[in-house]
Amino acid sequence: MNENTEVQVMSENEQMMLWYQVNKFYNAEARALDDEDYVSWFNMLAEDLQYWMPVRESLFRKDEQADSPKNMNHYNESFQSLQLRVARLHSGAAWSEDPRTRYRHLISNVEVEAGEKNDEIHVLSNVLVYRNRLEREEYWLVAKREDVLRQVGDSFKVVKRKITPDFSCLLSKNLNVFL
Amino acid sequence: MNQFEELKAMVNLNDGRIDRRIFWEDWIYQLELEKLFAKSWLFVAHESQVAKPGDFLTTYMGQDNVIVARHKDHSIHVFTNSCTHRGNRICFADRGQARQFNCNYHGWAFGTDGALLGMHEEDHYEGHINKTDWGLQNARVETYKGLVFACFDDEAPRLEEFLGDFRWYLDVILDQTEEGTEFIGGTMKNMFNANWKFGAENFIGDSLHVGWTHASGAKAVSMGGSVPEYMPVDPESFHANANGHGWEGGVDGLGTLALVSSGDPTLVEYFEKERSNMAKRLGDLRARKLYGSVISATVFPNFSFLPGINTMRTWLPKGPRQFELRSWTMVNKNMPDHIRDIVQKASSITFSPSGIFEMDDGENWENATLSNEGVVTRKQSLHYGLRVGTSRRDDPEFPGNISRPMYSDVNQLAFYQRWMDFLTADSWDDIPKVR
Repeated sequence: MNENTEVQVMSENEQMMLWYQVNKFYNAEARALDDEDYVSWFNMLAEDLQYWMPVRESLFRKDEQADSPKNMNHYNESFQSLQLRVARLHSGAAWSEDPRTRYRHLISNVEVEAGEKNDEIHVLSNVLVYRNRLEREEYWLVAKREDVLRQVGDSFKVVKRKITPDFSCLLSKNLNVFL
Repeated sequence: MNQFEELKAMVNLNDGRIDRRIFWEDWIYQLELEKLFAKSWLFVAHESQVAKPGDFLTTYMGQDNVIVARHKDHSIHVFTNSCTHRGNRICFADRGQARQFNCNYHGWAFGTDGALLGMHEEDHYEGHINKTDWGLQNARVETYKGLVFACFDDEAPRLEEFLGDFRWYLDVILDQTEEGTEFIGGTMKNMFNANWKFGAENFIGDSLHVGWTHASGAKAVSMGGSVPEYMPVDPESFHANANGHGWEGGVDGLGTLALVSSGDPTLVEYFEKERSNMAKRLGDLRARKLYGSVISATVFPNFSFLPGINTMRTWLPKGPRQFELRSWTMVNKNMPDHIRDIVQKASSITFSPSGIFEMDDGENWENATLSNEGVVTRKQSLHYGLRVGTSRRDDPEFPGNISRPMYSDVNQLAFYQRWMDFLTADSWDDIPKVR
């Protein structure tokens, strides 16, 4: 990391304050997703959002390559295409979401770094999503998130999010959740 | 009653009734592995996935894990992924590049053709092994216009004969251009707690579920409006089946293209321009009326696809109540990058685990399977009787057995007839060459 970046030149108190604000933002975002409150969620996303979750594979170390959106993706979304996905749930005809899935997002290991632009920060976090539905269906998803957050007023908007899942085979029938 | 007679009574083709035990019983599942998956031609890869010598991927034929590899002489080999010494898996990667595969246990090494090349401390084996006898079990391998199929049975007919009249339909997606097709990189995998046949039969003929199961997806595409007009039942829409393979859908040439372009005309414009080239290869009927319509299809037994959306997928059995879905997006090699990008995104947003259509399928298949745990529930047979007995072979337009319109159980029954052909056969003489 660049020693001269703004986060680095902050005092420890200022860094703690930024970390606190980011955590507050992530907690609010997690609550919105848990509650299927997509109006609030979309307010936390920038309209130039890039939301990407590549498919992981088990490869020999020598064959490992950087992730590319040109390969298969779970998500490779814009603000608009995320709205299309959410519209399905709001259609009143998503039979497989009625009764509702019980979601819980747990966000941890938050690390804040300087971003490329003055009003942006780069944030690493881990996400654990618990899903439970109907009688006994229970699924856990664990992933790394790499975000670019843009400072807007006294809060943030997500400009970029790369979600790197720790599964290669998704162990459930669908991916009916955002991370 | 012997086992075969008991099984035959479970699929009533005349009345369109199916016994739920075929989706539940372990003994039937074991028969499927031995008499269907170990006998039939099975899709294993697209040639583009193993383009260069040394390229390999791992997949399953039934529950047999296999390596699909391009050998140095450019031939494609498919062989069991299990060391002939103690049986350990020899390759744990999904795909990659290899000159040989070394078993982690004792260092036995196998070539990209499955031959045993050598082992750790080989000197000690002098006089104790004839290496040519201890290679991996190779399947027969044949390709059809880019698709690689493999078969573990030496007595099986050639792939061409196995596909039969269905090749005419496969060409609609495989033979649009001189350059052919390729899969985009990576493999999507996910698990269902359901019987694998529910995936295969859904894609072979279940147009009826589209307007109901996928009402939410359809409404999302129209952003809350009514289900779009590209989903009506056209009386000209049809079911076609041949040798247990099936294709069902419309003839408007537009439905799927309208769906995948969802507001952005770029893709529709591209294909409208391409259609005249396509027609030179495929004729007007296939280039203008079939391609672009809402269509789904299954190559018997477990390879399915959606022309236009271009998801290609295989339902890998993991027991009577579990399967793994592996899926890919196929594109024409000559597609410009921005068109490839649109196809890829459209395929992902509609038919992938997070897709607004596919998301609703799994719950149906899982609970259609799981409800059979009830012994009383399991005794009630299932209705597969819609338009039963209406197909005819002498259609002036389309090859195979044709029935109209597409709201029908005709293809599903043809699938289960072929399934029964395999499960109750003592040899290939018992399996009709043409169905």
